[in-house]
Amino acid sequence: MVAVNIVEATRVVVDVLPDALIVSSLGTATSAARLATDDGPHFYLGAAMGSALAAALGLAEAVPERQVVALLGDGDFLMGASTLWSVSAWRPANLVVVVLADGAYAITGGQPVAPSLRLAEVADALDGLAGVTADSAGSLRAALTSIDRPGIVEARISERVWPGPSPFVDPAEVVRGVRSNIAAGP
Amino acid sequence: MSTPTAGTPGAAAHNGNVPRGLDWQVAVADRLLAGGVTVAAYVPDSRLDGLLARLGEHGLPLRSLTREEECVGYAAGQRIAGRRPVVLMQSSGVGNALNAIGSLVVPYRLGLPLIISMRGTLGERNPSQVPMGRATASFLGALGIQSFPMRRDSDAAGVTDGVLGLAFGAQESAALLLEPDLGGGREHR
Repeated sequence: MVAVNIVEATRVVVDVLPDALIVSSLGTATSAARLATDDGPHFYLGAAMGSALAAALGLAEAVPERQVVALLGDGDFLMGASTLWSVSAWRPANLVVVVLADGAYAITGGQPVAPSLRLAEVADALDGLAGVTADSAGSLRAALTSIDRPGIVEARISERVWPGPSPFVDPAEVVRGVRSNIAAGP
Repeated sequence: MSTPTAGTPGAAAHNGNVPRGLDWQVAVADRLLAGGVTVAAYVPDSRLDGLLARLGEHGLPLRSLTREEECVGYAAGQRIAGRRPVVLMQSSGVGNALNAIGSLVVPYRLGLPLIISMRGTLGERNPSQVPMGRATASFLGALGIQSFPMRRDSDAAGVTDGVLGLAFGAQESAALLLEPDLGGGREHR
């Protein structure tokens, strides 16, 4: 297995889905999305841990003509995990969930995330939801290209890095950016 | 793959003990529709049931979600796209929703109308409902969100319009509190 870090994984997401609107969870996911999109006009969450997937579900239903990617840390995903059942219920055909599974609460110091995620198996157990595990840049690329929507990809991260850009975003700028992105179209 | 069946709340097995068609339920629903609300995200409650049924009958998309915090997150995603969501919950769920309100909706100024069915206040017989119910307006107030109690049918249109005006006009989240005086709740069961 080739080592994959959060920046590389996020760059694959942006490369495969360049027109997607990204909803990133607090911490490394927001930092990586800012880096990989050159601070593009995306929905970066600065806090609200556990709410990023719900926000992505709402956004996906609001803009059905756009691809929406929920880019989540594993700790964030677990805190709002019941939203995956709502995704199964409402099934937006334009939503892909990518969980950056590095097994750590990175922003608070790298404390371990206790459980295994097993998201492909979870998705398989739910109605109307596809799930894939990716453990290399190549398999992540393949998963994002082929997975049914809505779908969830567990991107297993084997190398920990801090992406760089601050995850402390300016909310007003974020809102303006997302609205301009939507107005500009895919 | 089965298809989603959720939509009108309780459509498959509506409990006849849960009142629908009360004057205030109809009035609030009709003002929400007139105010351009585009989707309702909610966690079920007996007093909200008839209101949601009325919205559903008029074709409004209804999203039953698993947790109040999730309703707020969902609505934030809608609001950032310029849509007009309304969030409905019981007061006991306000505690669940506070982090999404305080660290997403408030700082991003995604003004949301919140419709909160009150438990734990006048006539409540369940002790476990009382602490969260009596603290609801204080919790919201601590985050800068104004709450407007509704106790009479005749208040429905004015309070609903006012809450929508704050949320969608001023971009300030605001809460309409459905008080037990209205009826339709389950304080005594």
